[in-house]
Amino acid sequence: MASSAASLYLDPQIRDWVLFPITLVMILVGVLRHYVVLLLQSPPKKLSRAAIREQRALMRAQILRTTSANSPVPPSVYRSISQHLSQAFVDGTYLKDGPPKGDAPSAPPNPLTDPSQMDGMMAGMKTQMVMMVPQMVIMGWINFFFQGFVLIKLPFPLTLGFKSMLQRGVETPDMDVRWVSSLSWYFLNFFGLNGLYRLILGNENSADSSRDMTTPFAAAAAAPQAPQAQDFNKSFKAERDNLEFAEGLYEWVGKDVETRILKKYGRLS
Amino acid sequence: MSATPDIAAQLLFPPNVQYNNARLYTVKFLSACFAGAVAGVLGLENTLGFALFILSTLLTSACIYVKCKGRPGKYVPGGWWELVNPGQDNMFSFVLVWTLFYGIVHVYD
Repeated sequence: MASSAASLYLDPQIRDWVLFPITLVMILVGVLRHYVVLLLQSPPKKLSRAAIREQRALMRAQILRTTSANSPVPPSVYRSISQHLSQAFVDGTYLKDGPPKGDAPSAPPNPLTDPSQMDGMMAGMKTQMVMMVPQMVIMGWINFFFQGFVLIKLPFPLTLGFKSMLQRGVETPDMDVRWVSSLSWYFLNFFGLNGLYRLILGNENSADSSRDMTTPFAAAAAAPQAPQAQDFNKSFKAERDNLEFAEGLYEWVGKDVETRILKKYGRLS
Repeated sequence: MSATPDIAAQLLFPPNVQYNNARLYTVKFLSACFAGAVAGVLGLENTLGFALFILSTLLTSACIYVKCKGRPGKYVPGGWWELVNPGQDNMFSFVLVWTLFYGIVHVYD
């Protein structure tokens, strides 16, 4: 049984020619990915004024609602906005195509045939492609050039199960799992450089590998962001009910503020 | 009152909160990196290394707490856990830098 306490002596040239280059390449490829995604992004499609007005009307109602329990606006302002919006929702004055005519059922356009939806999905898929390809290329590069030798010793122990993954090219059955090959250095870098990307590229960078884990959800979530498929008539009706409910909860922060201040400073018995 | 966390969050100005969060993340990342460098250079193994990480996280959050003048709710949504939590990214960064320095100092001649 080989003594696991004996340490291997590694040529410093391995450090110079493998350790640093892999890290450097991964950092640079990450930055490159970020800029490629930035260049590939098509500018968001401009909506017509009526369509924007539709969305904004819904947002106005929501903004009013969220702060209604502790509202900064006085009662007269709140009530007038609330009633105006309710009336507009019922009449359908904010709808993109004008008030609903008769009882023609407005079916939301099919996601696959609606061109604006396609743009959203294509953008998501393009980003995913750009993320995947460099990772595959780098893994292949590392496997080709840096295979078959031990690179570094991990300061913490791992179970034997990791041995096959982390010591891929090195066929020694009883060497400590802490001595690992270059592929494991790649994995360490893959996870550990996200923080660095956030530091140098800002918060919304596309080099973040933790975002890759969530891309299936992100692609599904990107579709509702183009709400052309949303039936605004129905959502207006729902919003109207919400507005009424919120009006019941309404409470002005400045109510009886004179009495409160006087009491606070002890001028009122 | 059940609406208190909403009210507390409502009093925060979103662009300022975003700026605060970004700064907080930067501080945590840098402290994780330095902790990794220290652990690697000192040659700490297994549990000692992770203990250093936890220690540095606590030290960083104590400093931030003092900077918040004891009221983290005024600067960041969510209480003291937001300050203490290092985040998954920083854990991996710590391990990366730790391994790097450990390798440079102790494994290579």
